Parts: sequence; structure tokens; C-alpha cells
Amino acid sequence: MRYYLRKLAFYLVALWAAVTLNFFIPRMMPGDPVDILMAKLQQRGSGVDPSARRAYELLLGTDSDEPLLRQYLSYLGNLVRGDFGISVSDFPTPVSTVIATSLPWTVALVGIATVMAVLFGIVLGVFVGWRRGTWLDSLVPATTVLSAVPYFWLALILVAVLGSALGWFPLLGGYDVVLTPGWNADFLGSALYHGVLPALTIVISSVGGWLLGTRNMMVSTMAEDYVLTARAKGLRERRVMVWYAARNAVLPSVAGFAISLGFVVAGSIVTEQVFAYPGIGSKLLQAVQNNDYALMQAIFLVITVAVLAANLAVDLLYGIIDPRIRTGG
Amino acid sequence: MTLQPRADWRHLVPRWSPKLAVGSALILTITLCGLVGPLLVGDPDRIDNIGLTPPGGGHLLGTTQTGQDVLAQIAYATRGSLYIGLLVGVMATFLSALFGIVGAYAGGVVDEAFSLFSNVMLVIPGLPLVIVISAFVPPEQRGVWTVALVLAITGWAASARVLRAQTLSLRGRDYVLAARVAGERPWRVIGVEILPNLLPLLASQFVFAVIAAILNEAGLSFLGLGASSSSTLGTMLYYAQNGFALQRGAWWWFVPPGLVIALFGCGLALVNFSIDEIINPKLRDLRRRVGAVARPATDPAPSPGDGVVLTLTGLSVTYQGERPVHAVRDVSLTLRRGEILGLAGESGCGKTTLAYAVNRLHRPPAEVTAGSVTFHDRVAGDLDILALTPEELRAFRWSKLSMVFQGAMNALNPVLTIRAQMQDVLSTHRPAMSRAARRARCVDLLTLVGVDPRRLRSYPHELSGGMRQRVMIAMALLLDPQVVILDEPTTALDVVVQRGILREIMRLRGELGFAVLFITHDLPLLLEVADRIAIMLDGQIVEDAPAEDVRDRPRHAYTRRLLGSFPSLTGERGAFVRSGGVS
Repeated sequence: MRYYLRKLAFYLVALWAAVTLNFFIPRMMPGDPVDILMAKLQQRGSGVDPSARRAYELLLGTDSDEPLLRQYLSYLGNLVRGDFGISVSDFPTPVSTVIATSLPWTVALVGIATVMAVLFGIVLGVFVGWRRGTWLDSLVPATTVLSAVPYFWLALILVAVLGSALGWFPLLGGYDVVLTPGWNADFLGSALYHGVLPALTIVISSVGGWLLGTRNMMVSTMAEDYVLTARAKGLRERRVMVWYAARNAVLPSVAGFAISLGFVVAGSIVTEQVFAYPGIGSKLLQAVQNNDYALMQAIFLVITVAVLAANLAVDLLYGIIDPRIRTGG
Repeated sequence: MTLQPRADWRHLVPRWSPKLAVGSALILTITLCGLVGPLLVGDPDRIDNIGLTPPGGGHLLGTTQTGQDVLAQIAYATRGSLYIGLLVGVMATFLSALFGIVGAYAGGVVDEAFSLFSNVMLVIPGLPLVIVISAFVPPEQRGVWTVALVLAITGWAASARVLRAQTLSLRGRDYVLAARVAGERPWRVIGVEILPNLLPLLASQFVFAVIAAILNEAGLSFLGLGASSSSTLGTMLYYAQNGFALQRGAWWWFVPPGLVIALFGCGLALVNFSIDEIINPKLRDLRRRVGAVARPATDPAPSPGDGVVLTLTGLSVTYQGERPVHAVRDVSLTLRRGEILGLAGESGCGKTTLAYAVNRLHRPPAEVTAGSVTFHDRVAGDLDILALTPEELRAFRWSKLSMVFQGAMNALNPVLTIRAQMQDVLSTHRPAMSRAARRARCVDLLTLVGVDPRRLRSYPHELSGGMRQRVMIAMALLLDPQVVILDEPTTALDVVVQRGILREIMRLRGELGFAVLFITHDLPLLLEVADRIAIMLDGQIVEDAPAEDVRDRPRHAYTRRLLGSFPSLTGERGAFVRSGGVS
């Protein structure tokens, strides 16, 4: 129980840190984002609504002499209400709506691809580690090449080969634009089909790290006394491999999930750009290119919260798969 | 207690291997390209009206859509990417060392705070943060140093965590404690005692930081958020993407920059393998010989007289390597049914290697080079252990010969319950047994060794050391084996618990009639429990006689020395004057 409370407390602190960082970054940076935003709004023919200006000021900082603490509290208040202002690049859609429509795409893409990469990587790593000293060892350096390849470049190559040259997969987008998004077979099939290349990019780039980490832990674990005991007990290879070696070897991989997820999220943002995928990464870049600071700030927060939530979930899972944590402290 | 030597520089130099060779070659070539290349190629920005041309003739790698030479651009871009990678690598490693090493060394509140800070920085996704920060910095102020600083600030946390863990373990070592007790200043202790031992790890973290920096910078530049007026491999890809290189099939434009990044990263990763092997020697390449057990020429022992259960004849075990170590040399022993045969000798004399070889548990590079192991089974007759097929060997293990291992603390799987670890023995060797019967058998055995059967539901970490060892003994007896090998079964336990467990073993031997090969460095203990004692020195048996003879009339000088080094057992004080963990 103490473990869970500590984890929960940690993620609350991390969340607070991210929110605060988000508050201070625009205030510390040179330039006046609020004026840029207001100018943009005026170009769009929107009257300068004082309440809109107020929302932006809370988000991005203000020249007025309102105390920082009060600004900070009002900013937190707006966050709790989900009020991030109006997006200027998707004018006049509220930022929260822009995020709500693009987030599911990214969550599905990154989620499915990560789960696949983790499963493949761990299973292969366990196997390569177990069969150490055979030809499988040569797989290990090969996978590092894959992890050293920039995500977006791999995406470009995949598009060039599987998309353009062979014509197996669509080049761009998240679904066939003639279809209307909704829960029907046509649309879901199209979305899956369009998701293959982006997902493949993420899986290929991240599987190597999981494989290597698991393989190295497997090698260390196989030298443990309990694996020797298992062999002395005359258990079958499979049982020794899975329940004695692998079961212990995956624990650090799971614990190190946070680090890997950071890489995946970073990679997928850039990958989305290559595929013009309708996810949150593309929106972030759209926001950056259009000085849509409100959208940008909100997306940063949403990505952070999603990553924190994923990490929390994995930490809770870790508490389940490692009995020492569950009963210890 | 001896002081361990400080970091030995010979262990810090990577061993030569093909991976290291290829890795260094890649790094050197690409670095050279970045350093010298720009001097040899033309102006990368010169615009030519030939437009997009494929490789050939005047332009080895073709030109961009404005007729700029791709090769020249690559040379300059490589220099730019390496520069920023190195810059970030140095800064990020410095930050991680600061927060990881200093925090862990200082301990207390500082460590808590530093560690919390690192962990928070770790879970906040780096690239989105970098993008947001870069977006707020106007392009004209976004120089190489700004970008490098931002990348370093968002990229040090993971390695700080690794360094902290390692520093924590180093901090408790004898030589560090000695230096601290001697009153050396913290900076000196960190610099002289800790840092050298962390060098391989720091090097590895630096390598990762450089790879990550080059990749992240490439990503940032590809998004158009890189340092303004810089030319890196990422900016090249940005222009290629915006010049529709992909759609026009201009592979010579977008393939080479990515390839350079991939090859450089791959080179660093390969070098990192060698560094990893220094940090964790277990990862070194193993060359496994074909056929895991070299079949020695010796024939199995002929069936001896009745009452013998295990015969070793001329057994030799060698650790193969550049300088082979002959750990067990020409050992012949016989173990009678129901007998306790003690095998004594100091640490490193080959006792444990011998015990493993009996059951063929030795692992490469250890190899049985000569001799035979014959098990005289009550039912199946003589078994030539070294000739068993893997499946026969598996079935033999535990059902006829079981073991209780040295490391009582670690011999049980930490993530399985006691029940699971006992029952899998039964479900593998006695598949016909019903669930209920299996459960009953486990309960019986635990009761037999004096452990509450409710402990079946426990995990190993919930049991005390003595209880764990009792569980191991119960497990060893599950299948009613004819021989039990005990390898230092009580070494890690305190004297009172030791006594209890020894009494238990003696009682069970009387009840169940198995033979015991009892391995220990503790000769007085053997004098008390063993029927016969063999003394091992340097891989050879130098004395093999009934226990009384060893005590009263030792023949070998080494035996006399061993006996002399312990307080008398039969002295005035009468009882068991031994300390827990002698020598």
C-alpha cells in the first residue's frame, strides 16, 4: 500500500512540476506571445474580446503588474476547467476541441505500436538471451542499428519503398478522406490501413532497445542461484526459461518504461509530421508554425499528462508483478 | 577484512573485439568526414541552375533542387551534427554526474531532493518540452548553443538515475568507507575513490547522450526548429522534405543524411557494447563448444560392491580460457548409501565445481575433461551420468540426486511463491500425481523440516534466512532422492540457526536414509556430523578417511594445518566453540 501511495504522490509532484513549467516558460522567454496572438486574432477578423485576452495572458504571461501568484492561481483555475483559450491556427475552434479530436489518433497509434514493440522486444530478448552463445547473438548488434536510425528518416524510407515504389500502403493521412469518421467498418478499416506505416516506424525503431535491455538482463539473471536451482531441480527448459529467468529479467525493463516512453513520444511527434497523421504531434507542429501558443501549451500539457498516466499505470503494474514491492515498502 | 583494490586500469580498457573494431572504424570515418571533409568539397550553398540531378559525373551524390552539391552539404552537415552532439553529450553528462553522483554521495535530504528532481525530469517528455521552449525563442536568437543547452537540460535525467544507483553501491564499499573514516575531503573521495570506478559507466552514458543529442537535434531541425543558420544533417532532411525529395524520387537527397546519422549512432552503440562488457563482465561473448559436455575417454566405474550409491573416478574439471584453470584434478570418491561424506577445503579449492560436475550443472567455460560419474541406482542399476542425454539428465536430476545450494538467500526464485516452487518439481517429475496429492506432499515436507505449512503461500523475501534454507531442504527431499548434495548449507546463517538445521539434516538422514555429500570449509563441523571426510586442496583430494581418523590421525600436512586453525572442539569448554562465519 505504501508503494502505491508513494507512486501516486510522486506523479502528483511531477504533474505539478509540468504545470508550473508550462506557466513559467512563456514568461521567461523573450518576445511577447500575447500580442502576437491578439494580432493574429484580429487578422482573423475577430473582435478583441477582453475575456479572450485575459485567458491568453494567464496562459502566456502579461505585462500588467498583476502579482505572479494571482496569475498562477487563475492559470491553475483555467486548467481545472479545461479552458485553454481559442486556437488561432484552427480559428475559431477552442483549443480543448482541437485536442479532443486529435488525441485519440495519437493514443491509438502510439499505444498499439508501443505495446507491440514491447511484446516483440521482450520475447525476442528473452529468447536471444537464453540461447546465448549461438548465432542469435549476432541479432543484437543488428538491432542497435535500428535504434540509431532517426524515426522520421525511417518513416521517409518506409514511405519511399512500401508507399511510393511498391504502392502497398497509402503515403499520407490517418484515413481515406472520402469517408466520414465514425464507428463503422469502412472507416475503422481505412484508419487501420493508414496506420500500418506509422506504427511500423515506431515498432521498428523501438523494438531494438527492448530487445537489448531484456537480453542483457536475461544474461545476468541466468547466472543467478535460483536459475541454477531450477536446472538442478530437473525442470523443463521452457519452465526454467520463462518462470525462473525471464520472469525476473523483465522486471527492470518494466521499471525502465518511463525512459523508453519518452523516446517513443518524441519519435512519434516527428513521425506524425512525415505522414501528415491527424494526431496531436502534427497539431503541435501546426501550433508552433503558426505561433498558436495557446494550442502549443495545451498540447504540451496533454502529452505530459498522458505520459505521466502511462508511467503511473506501468508502476502500478510493476507492483503487481514484483511481490517484493507489494508487501515490502 | 581486506581492502579491495581501487579501480584497476587494466579492467577499464575495452577488450578488442570485432564489434569494437567496426564501431571505432565507423566513428573515426564519420568524424574524419566532418573534420576534413569540408576542406575537400566545394561550397555547399552554391546554387547551380542544373536543378535536381541524380548522382554522377561532377556531383558524386547528385544535387538538390537548387543544384547544390549533396556531397558538400553532407560534409558540412556532418560537422554541424557532430559538433552539437558532442556539445550536448558533454553538458548532459556533466549534469547527470552532478545530480547522480553528488546526490548519492551526499545522501540524506540532498539525495532525496536530487533524486526526486531527476525523476520528475525523466517522466516529463523531453522533445515536446524542447519544441515548446524552442518555439518561444525567436529564430534570430536560436543559436547552436541555445539549442544545445535546451537539449542537455531535457536529456540528462535518465543517466543521472543510472549513476546514482551505481554510486550508492560504491559508497558502501570498504575502500570508500575507509577513505571517509580517514577524514578525506568529500571531493577527494569522489574524485579518487568513486569516479575511477564509475568511468566505464560515465563513458557509456556519454555515448548514449551523444547519440540521443544527434537524433534529437535532427528531429528538431527536421521540424524547422533547429538552430538558425546552422547546417546539420537534420536541416538537410528538412530541406529535402520541403523540396519534395520524396515525391520526386530524389533518394540521393534524403537517404545519405539519415544514413550518416544511423551509421554514426550504430558505431557508438557498437563501442558501447565493449564498454558494457567492462561494466558487466557477464555480458562478454561466449563461445559455446559444439556438444555442451566434452565426453571424456574414461569408462564408467564398474559396479562396486553393494551399498555404494555414487562413484567418481578420475574426475577432472577445467575452466577453458586463454589460461585454462584446472579446478578439479583427478578426483575419485565413493559415497555409500546413507552415509554422510564431508568434503572440506578452503574457498576456491574446487569443492563447489566438483559438486556441480556431479550433476552436470557446470556451465561453460567449465568442462569435464576426464573421468566418470556413476550413479548406482537402487532400481535402474548403474547410470553413467556424463553420458546421459539432456532429457535423461533432466529426469535424473532431483529425483535421484538433489542439491541444497550455498547461497541460501538467493536459491529461491523471488517472484514465485514457495508453493509454486515446490509444486513444479512434483508436476514435472510426477505428472501422474493429483493436485491434492501434490499439495499434501508439500505440506508433509514442510512439516517435516519444521516450517509452518501456511508458509506455502509466502514469497521467499517474507521468510528468514534459516526458514528459507529449511524450505530448500524440504524441496530437496520432495522426490525422496538417494543422494543429497549440501553445498555450504549453513554458511550464511547464525550459529543457533545453524545448529537447528544441522540437527534436522541428521535426523532426516536417519529417517529417510539418503546419502549426503556435505561440502563446507568448516572442518570442525564435519568432524561432528560426517561419517567420512575428504580434504580437498587445489582441486585434488589429499585425504579421504573416516572422520575419527581424520581427527585423531591426520596423514596429510594440510589436514593438520586445517585442524590446527580451529579452536578445539573437545576442550574444557565442551561444546561447539565456533563462530558463525569463520574465514
